[in-house]
Amino acid sequence: MTRTVGQLLIEDETIGVPGAAKRTITGTPEAVFAHVRLGDDGRYRPLSGAATLPTGWSAPLGPAFDADIAIETVYPLALTHQRQFAAGTLRVVPLEDVLARQSGRYESSAVLSEEGRARAAGVVCGACVRHPVWNGAACAPEGIPCPEACSVLVAFCREAASWQASPPPPEPPDPRIAWAAFEEPGNELRERYLQEMAEAHD
Amino acid sequence: MTTLALVGHGSHLNANSSAPVHAHAATLRRRGRFEDVLTGFWKEEPSLSRMLDGCTSADVVVVPVFISNGYFTKTVIPREMRLDGPLTQRDGQRIRYTGPVGADESLAGVIIERALEAGARPEDAIAVLGHGTRRESESEKNVYAMAKRVRASGRFAEAGAVFLDQEPGMLDMLEVFRAGTVVVVPLFVADGWHAGQTIPADLSLEGAETRKGGRIVRYTPAVGTHPSLAAVIERLAGSAAE
Ligand code: SF4
Repeated sequence: MTRTVGQLLIEDETIGVPGAAKRTITGTPEAVFAHVRLGDDGRYRPLSGAATLPTGWSAPLGPAFDADIAIETVYPLALTHQRQFAAGTLRVVPLEDVLARQSGRYESSAVLSEEGRARAAGVVCGACVRHPVWNGAACAPEGIPCPEACSVLVAFCREAASWQASPPPPEPPDPRIAWAAFEEPGNELRERYLQEMAEAHD
Repeated sequence: MTTLALVGHGSHLNANSSAPVHAHAATLRRRGRFEDVLTGFWKEEPSLSRMLDGCTSADVVVVPVFISNGYFTKTVIPREMRLDGPLTQRDGQRIRYTGPVGADESLAGVIIERALEAGARPEDAIAVLGHGTRRESESEKNVYAMAKRVRASGRFAEAGAVFLDQEPGMLDMLEVFRAGTVVVVPLFVADGWHAGQTIPADLSLEGAETRKGGRIVRYTPAVGTHPSLAAVIERLAGSAAE
């Protein structure tokens, strides 16, 4: 039986992501984890759910590396959250609670406006295969529910809060810039957000 | 049996930052003394706030893989993991919270091992290199305490603390120590941004051994990446379980 979870294609004997290359990765959590740390463009993937998994690889499944272990290696807690969501026991935490409890470097994320929060979630979660049920998103049984804003979204909210008073001008996206370097002009998610904000307030 | 929850900082920008935590977790899983070994991170996944989701063990011990007892161990980890202190009872689960690996006195032994592996001899000086910060005096105290333990071991001619970000600064270490060879052991968790990049660059190191004005500076990998840190973690977890 073939099924997909996020970007992963799970077949009877293998797990992987389709693509032009046909690379075989050793069927162990360590090897697969190391492989999915970088995307096709060689950039580090700090967000496991980012829709940037490397393509064109598969890893053999077996008793010591079954489909569940493989899915949890690539998408930590995905199956736990699926099960808890289906059972109605998933602890869901709203964004406002997550931002309100931040301190130190991230304390300023809490001053981001309602509109900013909504757009930040749209941009960051829009690049992720998890479904932000903390934001009221729907999630089908085979989808991966996200119960609480992740640290990447919090970091984005912090930067977006710093842009509120005088938004930096949008720059062309530069795919060489680190995926989560939101303070750097050219970061793709930063530029998408700034562009959307500029258009909304034109 | 107990589930061990190893918590680390992680990074949004550096893929190596969490590598030591994953490596120690893999070692401890292989040893099989815990029911399960979980990992959680401030800036990676699973997040600190969700890492115990689905953990059904009645007994959990949380060990922070941090170098000193400071902002993260006192504020961020307890808040994110909803811990009440050294002991939390929640939903039939007992969660013990230990001090950080970096402040455990047995870490001095790991520093000494690192130095010896880099070829340190009895006539050499050991520079325990800490981050240092104006905000956290505990971090500074910990670096001095580790250097004192290395000195007390009597295995080297000199041992002392130097810092990346405060006095005595690492750039002055050839004035701090008199020995012909100074072995620098970074008291960091990972060979990440600082221990792996900025420190070697700022010290103009040419690899594991650098000659400077007729003297030798040896630079070791970060303490936190040493395989024997797994034993420090086990010891801490064991002491929490008593
Ligand atoms: S908060 Fe958004 S980006 Fe972060 S894991 Fe959840 S769905 Fe993905």
